[in-house]
Amino acid sequence: MRKCVLRMALFASIVAWTPVLSGCWDIKDINHRSLPIVMGVKQVDRAYKVLLLIPEVSPSEAKAKIVSGSGNTINEILDEINKNMEYKVDLLHLKVIVFERSIAEKGLDQSVESFMRSKDIPNKTFTAISEGALEPLFEKLEASSGSGGTEVYDFFEKNAGWSPEVVQTRIWEVFRSMDSYTRDVVIPIIKPGRTTTIESPGGAVIKNGKMVGDINSEESLLYNLFKGSGTQGKIEVMDHATVKIVSDRLNTTSEMHAGQAVLNSRLHLKVTVVETVGTPTEAQIKKEIDKQLSMRFNGMLRSAQAKEADILGLGQLFRDEMSRADLQHWRSKYYPFMKINFKVHVVIQDEGLLKIDV
Amino acid sequence: MDKSRQVIVMYLITHLGLIFFLYPVDIISALSVGHWSAVLLGFMLHIALVAVYTKGLSYGAPQNVVDLFQGVGKAFAFVALLPLAVYFIVVIIITTRAYAEIATVIFLSDTPISTIMLLFLAVSTAISLTGIEAIFRTGMLIAILFFPFLLLVIVLSFQNADWHYMLPLMDRKTASLSFVYHPSFLKSLFAFVGGFLFLGFIPPDVPYRRGKIVKVSFALLPFFLISVYVPLMTFGENTSSRFPFPFIMAVDTVDISWLMFDRVTMFFMISLLCFVILFLSLVMWNTMLLLKRGFPAFRTKSAVLVLAGLVFVVCLLVPSWNTLEKMLWWNTLLRFYAALVIPLLTLAIGMRQRRKGAVRP
Repeated sequence: MRKCVLRMALFASIVAWTPVLSGCWDIKDINHRSLPIVMGVKQVDRAYKVLLLIPEVSPSEAKAKIVSGSGNTINEILDEINKNMEYKVDLLHLKVIVFERSIAEKGLDQSVESFMRSKDIPNKTFTAISEGALEPLFEKLEASSGSGGTEVYDFFEKNAGWSPEVVQTRIWEVFRSMDSYTRDVVIPIIKPGRTTTIESPGGAVIKNGKMVGDINSEESLLYNLFKGSGTQGKIEVMDHATVKIVSDRLNTTSEMHAGQAVLNSRLHLKVTVVETVGTPTEAQIKKEIDKQLSMRFNGMLRSAQAKEADILGLGQLFRDEMSRADLQHWRSKYYPFMKINFKVHVVIQDEGLLKIDV
Repeated sequence: MDKSRQVIVMYLITHLGLIFFLYPVDIISALSVGHWSAVLLGFMLHIALVAVYTKGLSYGAPQNVVDLFQGVGKAFAFVALLPLAVYFIVVIIITTRAYAEIATVIFLSDTPISTIMLLFLAVSTAISLTGIEAIFRTGMLIAILFFPFLLLVIVLSFQNADWHYMLPLMDRKTASLSFVYHPSFLKSLFAFVGGFLFLGFIPPDVPYRRGKIVKVSFALLPFFLISVYVPLMTFGENTSSRFPFPFIMAVDTVDISWLMFDRVTMFFMISLLCFVILFLSLVMWNTMLLLKRGFPAFRTKSAVLVLAGLVFVVCLLVPSWNTLEKMLWWNTLLRFYAALVIPLLTLAIGMRQRRKGAVRP
């Protein structure tokens, strides 16, 4: 009898503990949180300013609002915003972080490091650099937030509005490049568009967390090509024809000749003809593509080499030919003097629905 | 009845639970080039010890370690096994505290650590109270439920891998094996040692065949390599050495547009935490067996509860991650005792017993 009572008591006490076992603690329901989608970071003198684009979705309409604050560190500002808001700011679903150009030129190390350290910001958040001031960009985003403020995110998202001339760079890639010996990174530049919500005029070259130059959209395509993001669907316009890239494959081999790095790179492109001007032959089209892409590539590489910024991560290919101590000096000693042979091999897969007259 | 399959599953999941969190950071900070050599060295040591340990046990079959040691002499068994019991208790403390901390760092940032530790200890105590056979059956269940997710996440974790980061494969510093004395390398052996000692405690309750276990051990090598090389290939050496949990960071970079997998890290964490809870209950059961045989006055059930309470209190007293790292380091001596001395002693005693048995008809 006593044992039975004891058992009942034990059972009751076990049941009483079950709420603890759920692991939920101080939980705030979803309707008491606000989930910013875009964060903008700018620096005025030494103070930071943070803008948050927070969607406000109700059954009848979807819009967004901008909340901003300034202070000495990003976290101080977020804390301040959190204090003043009626909801808890939860950065778990932050999708894009936009830096103003001036802060990128001063150096992103501090802010990127704090984003990586933070437990709630996902490290696969997209990064972007705003060409002009942040405020007009955010106002534009707010004004055209028909789908609840997700426009910028959709702009970069591969299964939505992304196109091969737009660079996709995530926060962890920027962080990786900050300490890397052999790899720099390009962050897409955006600005409010004239007829569309946003426009991307190209990308910013970031070397060790600092913006040292920029590349245009055409060069961004080559960057994506080397990164393996795919260039399918990109239209190339030449003098006598316009073609659409169907598929791409890049072969590279690297050699070291007496301290000189040599890279042989061969790009295999499959294209389909979209438009012709006059009556070019197939060989002519192939030659034009080769010439155009090689010229563009060499131009981009030369300017990147001059800035000692290895945006294509070419140093990676020499890892087995150099010791770690040598790799440390890759950017300054080897990369600027690297020789590269870039060749394009084109296959015209089809000519569209019209024949090319031969 | 041969229960090799259950033992194999248990053996795999206890190791998997330990590999992916604390192991990669130690290896990555121990050397800068040619991490595979450190992994391989530790792994070879592991296989050798498992072989020696199970060989010794098979000589003395169907006895377990405690029977074997007590066969030599009660006092000898007490002295030889007491450090092992202490080691087990410290392992329970470190594991509970470390994994509670990991859970708060990665996904339960608002939950007090004490609650998470209570959860771990409550569940593992409950499982270990039900006995060793129940632990092994639970192991089967957990493996069936979580192993597919784990494999999926491991495959996905290669999404951002850049194979060039594996190079260079070797340099002079690594080839000189100087990393062997690096504290981090010695700490990394934690992942190898904790998991296999249970093999000596389960006979005769859970019989298994020795050869199978040693063979299955080799299946663990890819997981050890993946846990170190996936972060290295994703971030490179310089960056991954800045993370306290490199593999988790690498999994966090995986991007899948399907909403369910928005954060695959969660699947990974939860599977591994289940494995770790099972590991805890197994170690707790081992400790209880040792204590029961050493101090026959103990009543098992109340002793387990006292042990769990004690562990909980000590866990509460650990203030920070740094203290925990220090504890892990202090435990190295006991770990070497448990990893080297116990298997060798087992082999020696087993061989002696066999010789005696051979003389007697």
